[in-house]
Amino acid sequence: MAWIVLLVGLLAGLPIAFAILAALSLFMATGDAPYHIRIVATEMFKGLNSFPLLAIPLFILAGEVMNASGITQRIIAFANALVGGFRAGLAQVNIWASVIFAGLSGSAVADTSALGRVFIPEMEKHGYDRAFAAALTAASSVIGPIIPPSIPVIIYALIVSGVSVPALFLAGIVPGLLLAVFLSVYVALTVKEADITPDPDLTTRPRRAALLGGILPLLMPVFVVGSILLGVVTPTEAASFAVAYALVLGLLVYRNLTWRALPGLFSGAMRDSAVILVIIAAVAAANWLLTYNRVPNMLTDWVLGNVDSQVAFLLAVIVLFLFVGLFLEGIAAMLVLVPIVHPIAVSLGVDPVHFGIIVIFNLMIGLITPPLGLCLFVAEDIAKVGMARLVRAILPFFAVEVAVLLILTFVPDLVTFLPSALGY
Amino acid sequence: MTRLSRLYAHVLAIVAGACMALVFGVIFVNSLRRYVSGQSLPWGDELPVYVTIYGVMSGVALACLQDRHIRFAVLLDALSDHARGRLLLAMDAVTCIVGVALAWSGLVFVSRRPQVEASGLIGSAQDLAAATGIEALVWLGRMGTWQFAIVYGGVALALAAALRLSTRAKEI
Amino acid sequence: QTLRFAHVDPADWQTSKKGAAGEIFKQIVEGETDLTVELFPAGSLGNEDELVGQAQDGLTQVVMVSGAMSKICPAAGVLDIPYTFSSAPLAWKVLDGEFGDALAQHCLDETGLRTLAYGETGFRNFTNNVREIRTPADMEGLKFRVQPIPLYVEMVKGLGGEPTPIAWTELPNALSTGVVDGQENPVGVIYNNGLHKLQKYMTLDGHVYAADFLLISDEFFQSLDPAEQAVVEKAAKVAGNMGRSIQQYSTAVGINAVQDEGMQVYSPTDEEIAQFRDAAQPAVKEWLAGELGDDAQWIDRLDSAIGAASE
Ligand code: NA
Ligand code: NA
Repeated sequence: MAWIVLLVGLLAGLPIAFAILAALSLFMATGDAPYHIRIVATEMFKGLNSFPLLAIPLFILAGEVMNASGITQRIIAFANALVGGFRAGLAQVNIWASVIFAGLSGSAVADTSALGRVFIPEMEKHGYDRAFAAALTAASSVIGPIIPPSIPVIIYALIVSGVSVPALFLAGIVPGLLLAVFLSVYVALTVKEADITPDPDLTTRPRRAALLGGILPLLMPVFVVGSILLGVVTPTEAASFAVAYALVLGLLVYRNLTWRALPGLFSGAMRDSAVILVIIAAVAAANWLLTYNRVPNMLTDWVLGNVDSQVAFLLAVIVLFLFVGLFLEGIAAMLVLVPIVHPIAVSLGVDPVHFGIIVIFNLMIGLITPPLGLCLFVAEDIAKVGMARLVRAILPFFAVEVAVLLILTFVPDLVTFLPSALGY
Repeated sequence: MTRLSRLYAHVLAIVAGACMALVFGVIFVNSLRRYVSGQSLPWGDELPVYVTIYGVMSGVALACLQDRHIRFAVLLDALSDHARGRLLLAMDAVTCIVGVALAWSGLVFVSRRPQVEASGLIGSAQDLAAATGIEALVWLGRMGTWQFAIVYGGVALALAAALRLSTRAKEI
Repeated sequence: QTLRFAHVDPADWQTSKKGAAGEIFKQIVEGETDLTVELFPAGSLGNEDELVGQAQDGLTQVVMVSGAMSKICPAAGVLDIPYTFSSAPLAWKVLDGEFGDALAQHCLDETGLRTLAYGETGFRNFTNNVREIRTPADMEGLKFRVQPIPLYVEMVKGLGGEPTPIAWTELPNALSTGVVDGQENPVGVIYNNGLHKLQKYMTLDGHVYAADFLLISDEFFQSLDPAEQAVVEKAAKVAGNMGRSIQQYSTAVGINAVQDEGMQVYSPTDEEIAQFRDAAQPAVKEWLAGELGDDAQWIDRLDSAIGAASE
């Protein structure tokens, strides 16, 4: 009965968190002892009762403040001055602005929403297909949580004890850049110059001013990641430094953020975080039921009994996570699956840091796949080109990202080189 | 939105925003202070977590009022406007029931052992109660106060869903 | 009937005290009764506070916890008074004797959870990255991560350090980056979690002897027939001792291993331990007496039990 409620609810468009909670409440309220309706609230509270989870609202707040304080625009101008002159310039700017933005923000959704608002209309103005612009923005914002700082990394380290956040942060840098290069090459090879009117601003725009204007925003990742590596703050606390830095730039340096705008930014950030955190809480409650009935143990035993090579296991994980990524939000998916697959990976001799980056990369691709892709939703919300068109436009980017994922999976050095070189 | 919905959204936004500001403020000041003077607040870790839970519960209700929750829209997109409106109406009703269930669940949860102490908070809460003479402030250091967030969230959500339903019913 | 046994330590019985206790408990009970034992290691059902709550609610039947016990049965907090036990065998004698029985009965009345046996998490020691600590004077100004438990905060303050509550999940980062200078934990925990790689110095001051409590929901226990009860009680005693043995083994291995890996380990002399005791104990005892109210008698009861056991 509970399963029917869950499936019908999800299909009928009941918000995902409420579909899970409806099914779980029904099960707990009607089940025999020890099941009890109280468990729903108990386990939801438990799911939210975690310090590292605070990185989510803080990084989302940082993103809101960056948008409102003109930091986003400066980053775009900076990227434009650097790569705007290349083939399919504005599309390149979109990709490399995402890379820079990745150094500031911990969430792909925040990146899509910040960069999409500027890039989608701007690229259309220069002759790009609107759906292509939206797809590129969503696809390149996947870089955001791969390059540090990163919410998924913090949550991953919370689930898997013994894998350190700094190690995962360092491990994500090369994969993030590699993804950017692949997207960049793909765009250069496929976008026909004839379709695009050249950026008229670029020759006249004072390039030096744009480069100088980028300095303060670019110091932000140095400040945030540096404060972690220098021991000023823990990774979660660093998110509050990102907020503070953006606030100082907006309120005192650029002065285009007003004090009166702050309450709106704060409540908006908490509301947008709540949308994600309520799913996490609901999944945590459902997870408890699965663990209590030893479902993860049975799955683990089954996998270990049937899969004995690293390669087969990693390929199976990639297929599984791409599939789950279609339907589940990345962090919620991590909470369900990582406790199951991590011990198997370790017992098969996969490097935990390497595995962590593969898992995170894998699930972040899920942000651009239908039917549930948060970046896809946000991009469509801005572009308004219709989901079907957007999905068609994003397919090639999806293929590029899966290709990069496979490279990272089977060339572990790309991931582990940097952290081990720096002693993690 | 009706005037009542707008007013309610405004109240929820204030609570959510205040929680966000408090969480940011405490974490930022605590880590800065620890780096500068070496001292940290005993409640600097726990309080932001609990305040966030209240903030999230407000945000969940607010997002419900504004139709911002994450859902599969495949079926909704395929339907005619008329049918979609009806379906959304039904989903509002189910959301309202979920809110009630959550409030009920939370109430049983919180009444179980509300007096259990939050180890990081209880000391400061007792000091605060002693300093002000207001005995009730001790409850800032007890889990019941924070677990109540689930009850609050359930009620807030049920109310939001009911308002959303009545607004949508008028629009159809 | 299924009996769920939950704890927060790893499953592997050769390195994990609670893992070992769970494993042997399962083998004995399943071998000698018709009960089935399902193990839930590694916090898969929740943290210690939550496990205790689940046992009280009848969701789990047996839990093995350490720090969470004094939150539901404050009198158990007297075991955490710093520099109380001078050795582990002394602690075993006290806990397996009249004092331990009386405390178990008291906590059963308070919580509905029956203490079947005591295991141990082990003596806790300070590590840090700045200098060797021989006396409390060496702790001056160092930031130590402590659990957000007032007793630990009071103790580190009393010793002259700066107590810094940081979540366990954030600890490795906080140590590797220098957010805090040091931390305190049993050697086994330090070694098994790789904290020694992040710290240069360890002082075997053994400030707190942390006991493990092997608890069973009394409601469930009473539902068993007498033969099953006897097996469960026996299995628990063996499990508690198994946990202690594995803990002692991990500590011994750990002390050797951390030194092989370059950590400097210092064992304070009796005089130096006395300095630590004088600096930490009065403040903690005074604070604890205030906290415990009527239960403060347990402080004196413990002192006289230790006195008797030491003779
Ligand atoms: Na990032
Ligand atoms: Na998806």
